[in-house]
Amino acid sequence: MQKKDQRAFNYLYDHYAGALYGIVIRIVSIKEYADEVIQDVFVKIWRYIDSFDAARGKLYTWIINIARNSAIDYVKSKSVQNEQKNQSLPDIVDVKEKHNFSVSTQVDHIGFKNVLNELRAEWRELIEMAYYEGYTQQEIAEKLNIPLGTIKTRTRGALLELKRILKEYE
Amino acid sequence: MDTKEYISSGIIEAYVMGLASEEEVSILMCIRKHNTEVEQAILEAEMTFEDLATSQAMSPPPELKAAIWNKISSQETTNSSPLEPQVEDSAVIHEIPSSATETPIRSLASRNWAIAASILLVASIGANIFYHNQSINDQDMLVQALVENQSTQQELQHFQEKWKLLQDPVIKTVTLAGVEQHPQLKAHVFWNTKTTDVYLSLENLPAAPKGKQYQLWAMVDGKPVDAGVFPLGKTDQVTIMHQIPKAQAFAITLETIGGNPTPDLTQLYVMGNT
Repeated sequence: MQKKDQRAFNYLYDHYAGALYGIVIRIVSIKEYADEVIQDVFVKIWRYIDSFDAARGKLYTWIINIARNSAIDYVKSKSVQNEQKNQSLPDIVDVKEKHNFSVSTQVDHIGFKNVLNELRAEWRELIEMAYYEGYTQQEIAEKLNIPLGTIKTRTRGALLELKRILKEYE
Repeated sequence: MDTKEYISSGIIEAYVMGLASEEEVSILMCIRKHNTEVEQAILEAEMTFEDLATSQAMSPPPELKAAIWNKISSQETTNSSPLEPQVEDSAVIHEIPSSATETPIRSLASRNWAIAASILLVASIGANIFYHNQSINDQDMLVQALVENQSTQQELQHFQEKWKLLQDPVIKTVTLAGVEQHPQLKAHVFWNTKTTDVYLSLENLPAAPKGKQYQLWAMVDGKPVDAGVFPLGKTDQVTIMHQIPKAQAFAITLETIGGNPTPDLTQLYVMGNT
């Protein structure tokens, strides 16, 4: 039984660890944090895999959302901790503030491509804020001072363009 | 409903990124079951993020794999122990749907249903209190109207009809609450579960703009069924609509005069579960 479990784990890990790690590191920005979060992600996947319902969506999307949410929550709790400690050290909040260019620069020198860089800046910003930083569309609208309806249709535009770009990668 | 318009509103992208409101999600889940175009658009948006994740994959440090397996297998053995902190589990359960789509996990879905059910229960208790109070008001007004004037006879009749409906045990009262854009609006459906007659009272819905008419929809197994248009200029009375034998929810949209075969969901005003 244990052996079978490990085989399942190997399969899961070998297929998805790279993709999930790529998501997590983009959200938490720091490698040490990503290493911590990815462990938590797989523990969660393992614990809740029984509740995954194939009829209601794909496994890949399901685990992507677990990774994304774990990482976003991690960043939020880190920034809360840092606020409580009132640290002067460069904390995650600072990292997030720099996020607009840090996603490409900071992460690129670790050595991977950022497909989002091929999007128009205004579209990239929307995806980054919504997908990697966990802002609601309402919050994005307020932050960017753009009507909510525009945010929604623009997000759609961004995704369609992203889909086109990803097709070229295949 | 104009499917294209609905899709291009950006709702699907918001849903896939976990940003749609509970209400938007429940409408979308209803629609996807019966509309292949919408279903397809959801799958495509999900696929885009899957492809994005694949294209931006990055290998974690190799030593992590063994470390994670150790963590998992050590937890497996302690899982049955009652000392295992349950709090952590519920925290995890809670956090996944809060920012993700709630679809992937069935237990979460049923949990959400449980929450939805309890909200509905509270709402229904609230409605009972409301009607109890309102019925007392109605009675007072009834007496007043009788004494005052013959011309109020008709108004009185409306009240009587409503009052009768409210009192009838086979009548199910469904409160349709305003959706996001119209939070203050409210309407009531009085549904005779025996005869399947449906009565609509628009309560505080504003008069329909020129060229438009309110249309009632019954959501039957996820599919909107036309329950008739509300007559123009009669906003203050209870109107009999089409007969509806079965429905999980009722909703009102603003449509062109005469109504439409399918609802324009961008013009959704109020909605309520039965």
